[in-house]
Amino acid sequence: MNTSSLLLALLGDARLPSGGHTQSAGLEPALRAGTTAAEVPAYLHARLHTITRVEAGTAVVARAVAADGGDLETVQAAWAARTLSPALRANGRRLGRGYLRVLQTLWPGPVDDRARRWSRPVVLGLLAHRAGMGPADLARLVGYDDAQTVTAALLKLEPGDPLQTTAWMLDLLPAIDRMAEQVAPLRCPDQIPAGGAPLMERWAQTHDATTERLFSA
Amino acid sequence: MRLGVAGPVGTGKSSLIALLCRALSDRLRMAVITNDIYTDEDARFLKAAGVLEPERIRPVETGACPHTAIRDDVTANLLAVEDMEADFGPLDLVVIESGGDNLTATFSPALVDAQLFVLDVAGGGDVVRKGGPGIARADLLIINKTDLGPHVDVDVERMVREGLAVRERRPVVGLSRNDEASIDELVAWVLGMLETYRGGEHTPVDPGPMAPHHHADGNGEEYVHTHADHATRSDVHDHASASGA
Repeated sequence: MNTSSLLLALLGDARLPSGGHTQSAGLEPALRAGTTAAEVPAYLHARLHTITRVEAGTAVVARAVAADGGDLETVQAAWAARTLSPALRANGRRLGRGYLRVLQTLWPGPVDDRARRWSRPVVLGLLAHRAGMGPADLARLVGYDDAQTVTAALLKLEPGDPLQTTAWMLDLLPAIDRMAEQVAPLRCPDQIPAGGAPLMERWAQTHDATTERLFSA
Repeated sequence: MRLGVAGPVGTGKSSLIALLCRALSDRLRMAVITNDIYTDEDARFLKAAGVLEPERIRPVETGACPHTAIRDDVTANLLAVEDMEADFGPLDLVVIESGGDNLTATFSPALVDAQLFVLDVAGGGDVVRKGGPGIARADLLIINKTDLGPHVDVDVERMVREGLAVRERRPVVGLSRNDEASIDELVAWVLGMLETYRGGEHTPVDPGPMAPHHHADGNGEEYVHTHADHATRSDVHDHASASGA
């Protein structure tokens, strides 16, 4: 999979037009609920071990199921069962639609009618399959993109030294790698991790009802 | 047809859209997408104006990047337009209001078919001379709040003249909500653009600068031009065929 690293760069780039700039990966509601900027590294770790791990596992399994010609609806259902917040489910599906445009434009192919309701990790899994991206890189992409979404949003919400957030990202990379290695071998929906982050789920619900906000989620 | 409304903060984009809704919503099926920095302020203004059913006015967050959402990554806005069309059936006119931004913030042709750029008199008479992609190459330049000219020491006619000059005669409308004739001019332009668009004669053009390039014209003679050389509405050329022509 020679091109996997470059694909990871392309898909992990903030410039990818998939609607990611509207997201804060839960940071905006977290800050509103009292999380401080100094606590962001801890926030990143907590998220990586829970919500992001579920997303990465979902994506990897979706890729495997797509490769086997299976029904991605089963993966979508498994993700939904593990994503307790209705607001996060709706947001995930919205992001999925954005990625579907990327997929159908760059790696066109037949898609299930139900694809319009698939969440981002499911669509990413299908994309990885079509693009020839390996599962470990796919999981790295999910982990990396989510963490960078947090750091980019932080610069908008609590402006600080951008190099500080870059340093936090650098420190997180080994943990992202470990997570990726752990979920890469997964193949069926039942195996997808199910760790939840109750506070983040609750904050997402509050955020959904907030009208004056910079980010959708 | 998707119509973008861009321009700096406070130039009267929302009011202009309210004017269009008031004038056209009885004859055109319309919807509005707003992109305010803090969601829903502009949407609330429009809903309060009572010019369109509230459900047809929807806000979209832009993550504090108003220019990104209309140009570099139009996904959020495109999805909102799709949802609007799914909910209300075919629409004649969808207006997308950008969050107020700087003079380089213009709409991608992937998102809109035509765009207005709105300046206002109170922002300073010299702004129009600064040019830039929005001022120079948007399909229509609006110089808004013309009635304020005397209060801010701005020569409105001069501003309009300078607008026409920097735009090489592409259309400019000096607008005031108290000036019925100017409102009629704006509405006529929108309806005219809609007709051109429906006739398949309109090609959305990216107002951003493009290097001068050459084509063969109908007689096989080559000529050099830039995209500033012609009005976007009437002169369509197909770049895909240029190399073979």
